[in-house]
Amino acid sequence: MKINTAFVEKVLTKFIKDELGKFHFKKAVLGLSGGLDSSVTAFLCAKAIGADNVLAILMPYGESFKKDVSDAETVVKQLGINSKTINIKPMVDTYYSKYPIQNRIIKGNKMARERMSVLYDFSSREKAMVIGTSNKTELLLGYGTIYGDMACGINPIGDLYKTQVRQLGKHLGIPEEILKKSPSAGFWPGQTDEKEIGIDYENIDKILYQIVDLRKQKKEAVAMGFSEKTIDRVFEMIKNSEFKRKLPPIPKISDRTVGHDFLLPYDWGK
Amino acid sequence: MKIALAQISPVLQDVRKNANRHLKLTEKAKKEKADLIVFPELSLTGYTLKDLVPETAINPNKDDSFDAFKLISKEISIVLGFVEEKGKGSFYNSAAFISGGEILHIHRKVFLPTYGMFDEAKFFSQGKNISAFQTPFGKTGLLICYDFLNYGANYVLFSQGADIIIALSAAPGRGINEKDAFKSSHMWELMGETVSRFSTAFVVYCNRVGFEDGKSFAGGSFIYSPEGTSLGRASYVDEDFLIEELDLSLLRKARQKLMYKRDNKPEVILKNLHKAVFKNED
Repeated sequence: MKINTAFVEKVLTKFIKDELGKFHFKKAVLGLSGGLDSSVTAFLCAKAIGADNVLAILMPYGESFKKDVSDAETVVKQLGINSKTINIKPMVDTYYSKYPIQNRIIKGNKMARERMSVLYDFSSREKAMVIGTSNKTELLLGYGTIYGDMACGINPIGDLYKTQVRQLGKHLGIPEEILKKSPSAGFWPGQTDEKEIGIDYENIDKILYQIVDLRKQKKEAVAMGFSEKTIDRVFEMIKNSEFKRKLPPIPKISDRTVGHDFLLPYDWGK
Repeated sequence: MKIALAQISPVLQDVRKNANRHLKLTEKAKKEKADLIVFPELSLTGYTLKDLVPETAINPNKDDSFDAFKLISKEISIVLGFVEEKGKGSFYNSAAFISGGEILHIHRKVFLPTYGMFDEAKFFSQGKNISAFQTPFGKTGLLICYDFLNYGANYVLFSQGADIIIALSAAPGRGINEKDAFKSSHMWELMGETVSRFSTAFVVYCNRVGFEDGKSFAGGSFIYSPEGTSLGRASYVDEDFLIEELDLSLLRKARQKLMYKRDNKPEVILKNLHKAVFKNED
């Protein structure tokens, strides 16, 4: 799973530059959480289109993620990109004061969609494309909020497993503090993906690489020394999140239907 | 002879824009005294066309851009890729060899990849012929992308006496490891080296670059000598314009050393292929 980080950097920065150009965007906007994925994406954007053309928006909820905010600020400073800090607490709290709920996951998803809403608002204001920050591990496991952090114009790191994003981050010069962070959805302080999924990322990535990239069957993965329960869990997560990776199905009734046989390229005329 | 490889990134669907770029680069190649310029697969249209195939289709005998190509081909030969409409409503992924003011040959892609990320057979008709033809530079065969990965297709050209095998390609990069190129680029080079050596023919491979719907076309266009020696390679991923001198006397030299052409037994192969084909097994 080792990658040539310089080559990957070249391909991804070319992709960002190329795709923005095709859609007549000069600028990029992204949410910067202080975590690894958004930091790597910010680095790639800055390299691709120049720091001046990148707007990073830091969107903490209240004061609960101080360390992450300061890490994000370090990245902003290091890259010399533009930034804005927009605390989403007032918007989210107004809503929940009317419709209170305790469930932290429901609340976390709402916050992710609040951030999406801010990013798309600034996309229009600044004529900047929203750049996604979801890695391949998250996409496969469905570990993201649909129409929340998964919403974007392009997603440069979507074919890199978390451990590969870390390799790339090291090559790009991401601060050590961020490189060694435990991946987290940031729904509440102390939440980590690994605790929730019950396996560490190294092993999740190993399993995913075997069953997705190398097309290994369940029994072959088990023979590699992973517990059947773990493998089952990974398969379940992939299966149960397929809806997040697709456009919603449309019942076909006409002769030619969006999503069925109206088949056009994304880069149409570009 | 001097050959130019135009490793470009066409604009998807914009035939006019692409044709202008072709003419510009052909002028450039002409200035650099090239005898032949080769463009990638579907160089006039881009690759990921899907339902746009009929909209971008051309009848080369009734097309302005082809008239311009024919005109300039009096001074420099051109190989390019386009969507061909034959009759009414049959669409092919085709390549044309234009030289001396006329279209010398059209190859229609036979092997249409339709698996995984590819869906060509959904939109294109399948070509049925693989034929080497006479050109000012010797007997030449055209193949398009996946055609070239079929050793039977290469064998046919070899048996027909091809001196030059030209493969136009729109091959997306696939697979990453610790090397500074996609894993798939190695596969193409392996085939180039093998085919050139075992056919004692020049192999000219022109791939495209750029992105379409997230696919990254891998570039890495190359030329191999009739002994399987690399004569040049364009950069991976970036646009490039490669000019190389092909010493056609190498054909004779290679065939004095390597007897594959002399010792070929197409009649034996044919007889046994016949048996394999008509066994009627699934």
